[in-house]
Amino acid sequence: MSAQLWALAVAGAVVLAAAGLETFRSRWARRFATGATAAPAAEPYILYFTGDSCTVCKTHQEPALARLTGVRIDKVDAVEERTLADRFHVYTLPTTVVMASDGRALHVNYGYAPAPKLERQLAEARGGALRTAATA
Amino acid sequence: MSAATHVKGSPRNPGEASDFVGIVVDHSALKVNQTGIVATVLVAFAGSALFRPLLVLIPLLAIVLLVGTFAPQFALFKQLYFKALKPRGIVKPRSVQDRPEPHNFAQGLGGVFLVVASIFLIPVPFLGLAIALLVAVLAFVNLAFGYCLGCQIFYQLERRGVLKPSTRSSETTETS
Repeated sequence: MSAQLWALAVAGAVVLAAAGLETFRSRWARRFATGATAAPAAEPYILYFTGDSCTVCKTHQEPALARLTGVRIDKVDAVEERTLADRFHVYTLPTTVVMASDGRALHVNYGYAPAPKLERQLAEARGGALRTAATA
Repeated sequence: MSAATHVKGSPRNPGEASDFVGIVVDHSALKVNQTGIVATVLVAFAGSALFRPLLVLIPLLAIVLLVGTFAPQFALFKQLYFKALKPRGIVKPRSVQDRPEPHNFAQGLGGVFLVVASIFLIPVPFLGLAIALLVAVLAFVNLAFGYCLGCQIFYQLERRGVLKPSTRSSETTETS
């Protein structure tokens, strides 16, 4: 029985360490990716990094993106568009980046981002654009 | 305009479906496979506390996964799904436009880790069991949340050019 308990302890420790490492990596990547730039647009939009090896993209992320109305989504193949993917530190798929209308990255989501979260981030991006217009 | 040739970083089309034209993968077969992995490891893990020979399930599972990776027609759990569960309507099919390679890669990786676990089972049983448990945890995460670590590793290897990206058909177009 002790072998089972030790195994549980080791597996638990590895899972916790992996979760911690993932959190650290995600924060690190987000820190450098936020503020990176792409093409400006009239309205905030979403850069959606995907790839054909990404199952979650098809089963979860794309239905979530389809729920967003009136938003431009720029789908990017992260394997083929490597330079752009590197600019946003895309280390996992899917990755969604909410871009301000001036082409700055406002929010970077590594992994699946549900529709309400994206809507909230887009609302923030639109709010920021309105404030900029009001003060100009 | 194809996904590969659109203007980088420019806004494109509103909420859209996948524009990857590919093979359809039955995700129910994958789920049955993951359930089989989790169940087998759990039986070996818990059962071996009372009846140690049950540990043999771990090397057997390694063989099943590795054989299934290289010869999908012999993938035990998937065949159970295609030959028994699906025809009887016990598990409904769920076809998704997807590539089978990342899933096969993930399965093969699980098999390799179970081989390593099997090697450790005799000299350091707790380490062998821990590795097998980690495989089960990852299979469960995939089953419950759809997150496939093996597929992410596959993506990283493709990105670094270790694995060759698949060629897509020229009619891969955006859908609006």
